[in-house]
Amino acid sequence: MDLYEHEAKQLLDEAGIPTPRAIYAQNSHDVALAVEEIGLPCVIKAQVKIGHRGQAGGVKLVHTRDEAILASEQLLPMTIHGHKVSGVLVAEAKNILHEYYISIAIDRNSRDFDVLATANGGTEVEEIAKEHPEAVKRLHISPLEDFNIDAARAMAQQIGFYHADEEQAAQILLKMWQVFKDNDATLVEINPLAKIGDPDDDASKSLCALDAKITLDDNAAYRHDGWQQFVDPYAANELETRAKQLGLHYVKLAGEVGIIGNGAGLVMSSLDAVAGAAKQQGSDIKPANFLDIGGGASAQVMKQSMEIVLSDPKVRVVFINVYGGITSCKEVATGILQSLDEITAIRPIVVRFDGNAAAEGLSILQSANNPQINVAQTMEEAAQCAVRIALESGERA
Amino acid sequence: MALFIEQGAPVIVQGMTGHQGMTHTARMLTAGTRIVGGVNPRKAGTTVAFDVQGSSVEIPVFGTCKEAKEATGAKASVVFVPPRFAKDAVVEAIEASIELIVVITEGIPVADSAYMVALARQHGVQIVGPNCPGLVTFEPSDAPLPGVNLGIIPQDIVSYGPLGLVSKSGTLTYQLMGELSDIGFTAALGAGGDPIVGTTLLEAVQAFDADPNTKVVVMIGEIGGSAEQEVAAWASEHMTKPLVAYIAGFTAPEGKQMGHAGAIVSGGKGTAQEKKQALEAVHIAVGETPGQTAQYAREALSQVQ
Repeated sequence: MDLYEHEAKQLLDEAGIPTPRAIYAQNSHDVALAVEEIGLPCVIKAQVKIGHRGQAGGVKLVHTRDEAILASEQLLPMTIHGHKVSGVLVAEAKNILHEYYISIAIDRNSRDFDVLATANGGTEVEEIAKEHPEAVKRLHISPLEDFNIDAARAMAQQIGFYHADEEQAAQILLKMWQVFKDNDATLVEINPLAKIGDPDDDASKSLCALDAKITLDDNAAYRHDGWQQFVDPYAANELETRAKQLGLHYVKLAGEVGIIGNGAGLVMSSLDAVAGAAKQQGSDIKPANFLDIGGGASAQVMKQSMEIVLSDPKVRVVFINVYGGITSCKEVATGILQSLDEITAIRPIVVRFDGNAAAEGLSILQSANNPQINVAQTMEEAAQCAVRIALESGERA
Repeated sequence: MALFIEQGAPVIVQGMTGHQGMTHTARMLTAGTRIVGGVNPRKAGTTVAFDVQGSSVEIPVFGTCKEAKEATGAKASVVFVPPRFAKDAVVEAIEASIELIVVITEGIPVADSAYMVALARQHGVQIVGPNCPGLVTFEPSDAPLPGVNLGIIPQDIVSYGPLGLVSKSGTLTYQLMGELSDIGFTAALGAGGDPIVGTTLLEAVQAFDADPNTKVVVMIGEIGGSAEQEVAAWASEHMTKPLVAYIAGFTAPEGKQMGHAGAIVSGGKGTAQEKKQALEAVHIAVGETPGQTAQYAREALSQVQ
């Protein structure tokens, strides 16, 4: 789960990492009140879970209350790179003297935690890494190691926070690690970590997290009651939320062929097969969703999956691809027939069974003698058939 | 083939007395795996009866891995423990010097997996998984001992043959085994769909490359991370036998987790396209579909035989 900037900063703030004073608001009235509290000038920042927000016009520096209201009225209805803006953050404007970048993340290759840092923050760290690889420091924290203040000091020295207070940098690194560990994060990124203050007064200079991104590990949700507050009504599609409540992995896409299968890999492969078949048939038919019924699914789970997929009005045909390991094709077939009985807005289905109880499953489907059911021998054939049906029903409509 | 485990090696099951554990212990026993005990502190001292081809087999339950190891000399453990208890279970197995730990459990927090994988590597213990279907090895029908089935991979899809298979996905493992059932396998290993796993695609490919009976290796990857690129980089320099690959998830959108915790394209990285390009750049054939991948495996085999 990705957090919004204001949520990420709340976690940093709780850990004692300096962040600018800021108030989250969802309408221009609250923005006006926030401006009185924060003072002018201030920054109005669209809250959206996608990068390149600044370039898309999602951040505005304002000098008056009226400018702030105007800015919020522009930002609040915006959709940035396909993501609806949830609200705005009214934040203190800081005088930036220098920008750094620091992140802590799961490293899938070295199978530990990876600290990435550069003294040239503020822009894309990937670009800096490409153009000036020597400027980006990459260090590792072992899962078995206790990362303490001494380790943080050594790391801050290696990173080289020139022009900044190295001791404060070490404290921030240590606190970032605590945020990462205590919250079961997979990413904690501060970009920029800025040196702020009066250029002529050394005593006023300090480090401050101006923007932050945090991703939490969904698998760890069971041990964090506090994550309820981060549930995002803007992010999930209504069908995705419903599927999640039923314990199904469902991802809504934009196409016409609904897809249900067992196992994440086989379902992804089914999506690809539909896209490949559409290309061969010279059409722009696309998969409508990803739905994994998991291992050992019951007839009930299959029926619920059909209901979710067919709740999408764009779906013209459903491709059901099951290779039974623990899952029994017999159960799946029973679930399909139940859904045909109960769902009114039924559409044609294409079924491909293999493995555990495939023959029994197919004979259950055949005995129903329902014209909506099409059976294919292989997943490639099934994908071709599903695309053909989607095309034909599109032409009729 | 002995893939991280010898034929006939004694095996324990952690979480044997749960529903999944019971189902799959019965399956593994039927497949010829030498299951010698279960671990459950609340049921220590009891036994569980399994029906194996019509006759009843009594398996003892031990309170800890250490007790099970001392009593049985267990070399491997299969873990079906629920996510919130999985880390402690695996740490216990590592500390009991179990040599191979196959973690089937899906949904373990990645920080827990990072810890148990690091601890296992420090102790020289091999973890397979988590979030994987396990591993299965095959032997010729005239071999003195049958292969080993650790986990949930169905036994009856294939028999012994010259192919090796490693996969991030369970059902795609079965799919490819089914497509190539007429040829057969030395072993198949499900590496798992989590961001951090104990045995990477590369480690499995290296094990198959070192096995004299494996003639062609099939690798099934998917979006997320860069384990497939690691294989491409190593294979181009060191691989001594043909490798063919399949990658799932070309149609996966950015930023969406596709079922597996590790199957996600983020910041434009970990796409199926970049994996395919990395493999093809070093002349590893990548099938468009599982069917085409199977075809590539057949062609590769006909060239080496």
